[in-house]
Amino acid sequence: MSMATHPAGDKFRHEAMFYSGWAEFVSGTVPFIKQGVAAGEAVLVVESAQKIDVLRSALDRDADGVMFADMAEVGANPARIIPAWQDFVRQHGQSGRDFRGIGEPIWKGRTADELVECQRHESLLNVAFGTGRPWLLLCPYDVENLPAEVIVEARRSHEFVVEGMSASHSELYRGLEASGGRFDSPLPEPPADVRHIVFDADSLLSLRRHAAGFAVSNGLSARRATELVTAINEVASNSILHGGGTGSMRMWRDASGLLCEISDAGVLDKPLADRTRPGSATRDARGLWLANQLCDLVQVRTLPTGTSVRLHLYLDARPHLHVVEDGPSAGGRPTR
Amino acid sequence: MTRKPDGLRFAGEIDIANSDAVGASLALAFPVVGDPHLDVSRLSFCDISGIRAIVQAAGALAPGRRLLLHGLPDQLETVMKVTGWSDLPTFELCHCGEEKT
Repeated sequence: MSMATHPAGDKFRHEAMFYSGWAEFVSGTVPFIKQGVAAGEAVLVVESAQKIDVLRSALDRDADGVMFADMAEVGANPARIIPAWQDFVRQHGQSGRDFRGIGEPIWKGRTADELVECQRHESLLNVAFGTGRPWLLLCPYDVENLPAEVIVEARRSHEFVVEGMSASHSELYRGLEASGGRFDSPLPEPPADVRHIVFDADSLLSLRRHAAGFAVSNGLSARRATELVTAINEVASNSILHGGGTGSMRMWRDASGLLCEISDAGVLDKPLADRTRPGSATRDARGLWLANQLCDLVQVRTLPTGTSVRLHLYLDARPHLHVVEDGPSAGGRPTR
Repeated sequence: MTRKPDGLRFAGEIDIANSDAVGASLALAFPVVGDPHLDVSRLSFCDISGIRAIVQAAGALAPGRRLLLHGLPDQLETVMKVTGWSDLPTFELCHCGEEKT
């Protein structure tokens, strides 16, 4: 299929699909999937396990031509979603086959910190794919269960919106360049008594000792504490090597788990730096990538004065999986 | 680093403060022929730069030679897996178990 005939047009087409209730979810996604299957495209759907069940039933035999992945696993940490799409794109880009996808990273049970990272993720999708091969990515938004400001932000991060049966250009879309602009959305401040620990190359070892002690005494298992210390060490090493030779660390605990923030005077100007899968070249950067694979959430902020990286490790290892999605109420669940 | 009759052993912790020295010492200490052995079972911590030094040393071996890693601790294994360095053809993980005694 030539690029000119691709349903996405000549570039990546990122659409937000607003739905309310199961019936709208199904009517907004199933024809999109069936169209891809009928055209012989590779189709990947990253949704909740419950929605995957619903889609499988609605698609019937067409489901055989679709790949499904559980967003609660793929996107528990939203910075892992772009690499998953990149794997998909790379795989099918090589075969020459066209492809499309559905991804719903934002749901009602997301924490406030996760939500803001999901929103950044939605913008970064434009950066990751906006200049590559054309393909379609449809992002369902549950307007019934999400706050109005989340829907407004979806209009900023998506070039197109689908409402009802019609797709249109989003007038609020921030554009490709701003999608990867400096991310300085302020993070909630820790309690005032949390102290800064200043470190440099000579004190990395004692920084690790301190972090390990804090992690274990606050209830992290030995394995998770080691993972956190490994991530902290890499982020702190970045401060030493690229952030002016020194940095400062704060650790504290909140209702979700342990938090650790490392700040330095460096400037991080690559918007996808924390979610780019390292290649085989040994010099490729790997520190922030590692942090995102080992931590439940990583929040990178670039300010005129420097860079901050906040790592989250939940004490309850996978809180997402305990959030039972009650689903939209209007229309009820479709019958099988 | 200590030298055993059949190879090398690292103990302690490797981070950006000493990984350059690790890489340099590995290159010098490898035997001229045969596959070098490296016992890492007593490494209590190794960061990306340390594993990079080991990977680079393994990659610099003549074609057909491999670095045999013994006693990989969980922490090193995690870093190698996450960074995509666990499946390189230039080294092999040995699970003979004898080096942990």
